Amino acid sequence: MNRLKKIKELPLLIVLIAISVFIAIVNPAFLSLENFLDLLKSNLVLAMMAMGMLFILLTGGIDVSVASIITAVNVILGQTLVHFTQNIFVVVLIACAAGILLGLMNGLLISMLKIPPIVATLGTMSMILGVVLYTTNGNWITGIPQNFIDFGRIILFPYILGDGRAIGIPIQVVFLIPVILLTWFVLKHTVMGRGIYAIGGNIDSAERMGFKTKKIILFVYSIEGLIIGLSAVAHTSIMRQVDPNAFLGFEMQVIAAVVLGGASTLGGYGSVFGTLIGVSLFSVINNGMILMRIPTFWQKIIVGFIIISSISVDMIQKKREEKQKVRVDVEEGGTYAV
Amino acid sequence: MQSKIKKLFSSKEGILLIIFILIFITMSLLSPNKFLSNYNIQSLAYQLPEFGILSLSMMLIIMTGGINLSLTFTATLSMIVGGLAMSSYFTATNMPFVSVVIGVFVMLAVSIVLGMFNGFIVSYIGVTPMIATLGAATLFEGISLNITKGGAISGFPLMFLNIGNSAIFGIPVPMIIFIVVLIFMRILLEKSKMGAAIIMIGCNPKVAEFSGIKVKKILFQTYMIAGFLAGMAGIIMASRYNSAKESYGSSYLLQSVAASVLGGTSISGGEGKVLGTLLATMILQIISSGLNIFGLNRYLTNVLMGFILILVLAINYIAEQLKKKK
Amino acid sequence: MKKVLVIFIVLVAMTGLMFAGGAKEAADDKITIVVMPKLVGIPYFNASEKGALQAGKDLGIEVIYTGPTTADAAEQVKMLEDLISKGVDVIAVAPNDAAALTPVLMKAKKAGIVVFDWDTPADPSVVDISVHQIDDRGFGEHMWDLLVEEMGPSGEYAIVTGGLSAANLNTWIDFGLEYAKKTYPNLKLVTDRVPTDEKQQVAYQKTLDLIKAYPNLKGIIGVSTPAPLGAAQAVQEKGKKDSIAVVGSSLPTDSGPYLEDGSLRVGTLWDPAKLGYLTVVLAYNYLNGTKPYDGQEIANVGNITVWEDNRTVIMGPPADFTKDNYASYGF
Repeated sequence: MNRLKKIKELPLLIVLIAISVFIAIVNPAFLSLENFLDLLKSNLVLAMMAMGMLFILLTGGIDVSVASIITAVNVILGQTLVHFTQNIFVVVLIACAAGILLGLMNGLLISMLKIPPIVATLGTMSMILGVVLYTTNGNWITGIPQNFIDFGRIILFPYILGDGRAIGIPIQVVFLIPVILLTWFVLKHTVMGRGIYAIGGNIDSAERMGFKTKKIILFVYSIEGLIIGLSAVAHTSIMRQVDPNAFLGFEMQVIAAVVLGGASTLGGYGSVFGTLIGVSLFSVINNGMILMRIPTFWQKIIVGFIIISSISVDMIQKKREEKQKVRVDVEEGGTYAV
Repeated sequence: MQSKIKKLFSSKEGILLIIFILIFITMSLLSPNKFLSNYNIQSLAYQLPEFGILSLSMMLIIMTGGINLSLTFTATLSMIVGGLAMSSYFTATNMPFVSVVIGVFVMLAVSIVLGMFNGFIVSYIGVTPMIATLGAATLFEGISLNITKGGAISGFPLMFLNIGNSAIFGIPVPMIIFIVVLIFMRILLEKSKMGAAIIMIGCNPKVAEFSGIKVKKILFQTYMIAGFLAGMAGIIMASRYNSAKESYGSSYLLQSVAASVLGGTSISGGEGKVLGTLLATMILQIISSGLNIFGLNRYLTNVLMGFILILVLAINYIAEQLKKKK
Repeated sequence: MKKVLVIFIVLVAMTGLMFAGGAKEAADDKITIVVMPKLVGIPYFNASEKGALQAGKDLGIEVIYTGPTTADAAEQVKMLEDLISKGVDVIAVAPNDAAALTPVLMKAKKAGIVVFDWDTPADPSVVDISVHQIDDRGFGEHMWDLLVEEMGPSGEYAIVTGGLSAANLNTWIDFGLEYAKKTYPNLKLVTDRVPTDEKQQVAYQKTLDLIKAYPNLKGIIGVSTPAPLGAAQAVQEKGKKDSIAVVGSSLPTDSGPYLEDGSLRVGTLWDPAKLGYLTVVLAYNYLNGTKPYDGQEIANVGNITVWEDNRTVIMGPPADFTKDNYASYGF
């Protein structure tokens, strides 16, 4: 029981379970296998992008350009599929390369020119989105080759329902699972991971400890770019077309999901498990709104209320913990109370 | 005189002023007779205040080390509730002056309350500003939508339109309001005890606490003032657009962050100058308007703004490095 | 010295970028017509851009097609103020919010500029001619007729709309609902119109949820161009295309796959390119002293209807497209 209490993410997990139970009582359809699989499919892109964002937030940074980057990669891979090749492996490679390059651009601005992450990514967001929309004019890219569409429709471990339909795990998990494992592995089991947490705590101390902070920052933005590339492939395989406007405003959702999962915007706090809870919370709330037949004009109010309450609960819990471990921390440029 | 010019050049604000003048000249050259025209200068004077006041509000929060993602929704929710009060009263009694007074009063009152809401969650519960204001933004937007059902509140008395669209002695009313706000902010941030406290909190809240500053109280009041400023911007917008809708000014959110940072406000808090933010706001404004008049594709304008933001910061960094080498 | 160099770089960079983008500077003696959509960068308004620019070419006049990058009325007001500074002959705007544009359109009129609205009406007191693609009431009622044709006159249905703040979408839906109350009393709307942020992905997700929340759902009306497609995608995935009828206002070219497999039964819209073309032609005529009249034939467009107020122009009836004929449409 005590080990359970020690799980940092416990308060959030409880909130997630509580909300899920509540929704299930109001509408048992929530608990169906089909619903869970639908939720998985609808939110796996969010989950993947959240993993990427976790890397960034842990270093005390933020990336508001993720929506433009995934849009740009989508456009690139869309054009590739329609005009150049149908080979899925090639397309995945191109998407990853594009993502890494764009991520690297952010990384260079932040590590080399010391531009604060929010400003650098604000700038790159405008530039990337501007260029993408200028070249595409917002027009959709259709005509995605059939083999790619078929790939997107594959279901693993099909289970036949009463009405003859087959449901199962969507193929896109072959992108999701490796991304989650990669994130977890890098953060928990590599020196790079420890460096990331160290930078988040205090970048100067990290430097003094011997971590090559510049390299780590470049790494973090590049790996985020890689993840975004894979997310783009997953997304396009589900939607079967490319809409340059599809991700407008998405960066806020990604950031919200990660922060909801306990990550601190000042860096140093956050985990893969927590982020997954955050993403789940997000998707469950949105799903629950309609399942519970909540009137449209009340939904945003409830979502906002839930965000604030669950984070407040988390905060109050963290404060209680802090009081028990009295630590006086007076460093240069110290962190604001978390 | 020599040393004064040197001082001008070497301060951040000095550089911003020079950039502003250069861009102004460029825009005038690109669209001769059109940019420099009386009509356009007037137009700029009407467009600038709402952006400027929102930027100052954002700057205030950034200086405490936070960010206010609910900025624009604070403005719109205030203008919606106030607008509703105003138009209902006007329809019922047909008394324009009283309706306008009620409208303005309600708008400001609501904006202060919303600011207090944010302040409470950030300072007393201790939620990080980013997620607190994100949640607040969703909440405010939801309430706005609930009231307007997606439409806009209109039916304002003609007198209300004068706030945003008329001039006194040739100076547009919004500009007068803006100048008053500027003076207020300057005194607050650079000449008052509270301003010094805000800067300390932004630098290091724990040290501030130990030096006897009531961090929670000051933070709470700061969010209140920020809300009030958003409300003022909301009044100007509601008047200029003759209606109130939850989506007005949504693009100002990120732009106000850009303006604050461009103006020298440090994103981690503890540093910022009103003059800097003012100049940065003016720069962004004339770029947008100037390019519009010139006819540049809107998307490319966005690209350019993003590029300039990065460029100026990069230049600042390089300049700092060069200074260090001396 | 270093500071001067730094500032010089800024100036050069700026000017360089500016000329790289290319621009249109209105020559003072050429007729200039501004056509402003609600926003740029979505397929619907891209199509109207093509039409508007084509008309400019055919007539030998300058057409500036520009608009905000998001459906923000405040942005439109600012752009219009700048265009008034620039000095143009006609402003034809599709307002994101009619009341918001009234002050700036008043300023335009004072400056001697002719003011039109197109696609979505603005305040009639400031507009010289109002160009509508179809009759709003007729369109709303037509969508409900299509729904009933597909699902029958009784049963549960839902509305999936582009956004809660889109005035024209709301107008069609409101007219449709009013019509349904009288004509199809056995139709049951299960919940308020569901917004999708003009994104197909969101329409897809929300429809999945609707199907689960209301197992007896028989029909869905998708209003706005991506919505019907997202709804159709969800219906098709859940294998419900025979039990749930999806109809809506989508673009024929994008609807192909969904019409083919029956997840979208029928789509209905008008040609946005024609609308852009018509607006420019009417503006040009107006400047030359010719006002539109009922039954007038416009080259490349067809016969238009003009209401008794002599200022409201209706382009024509909506076009329905199904899997048999969608390919013949160019938009």
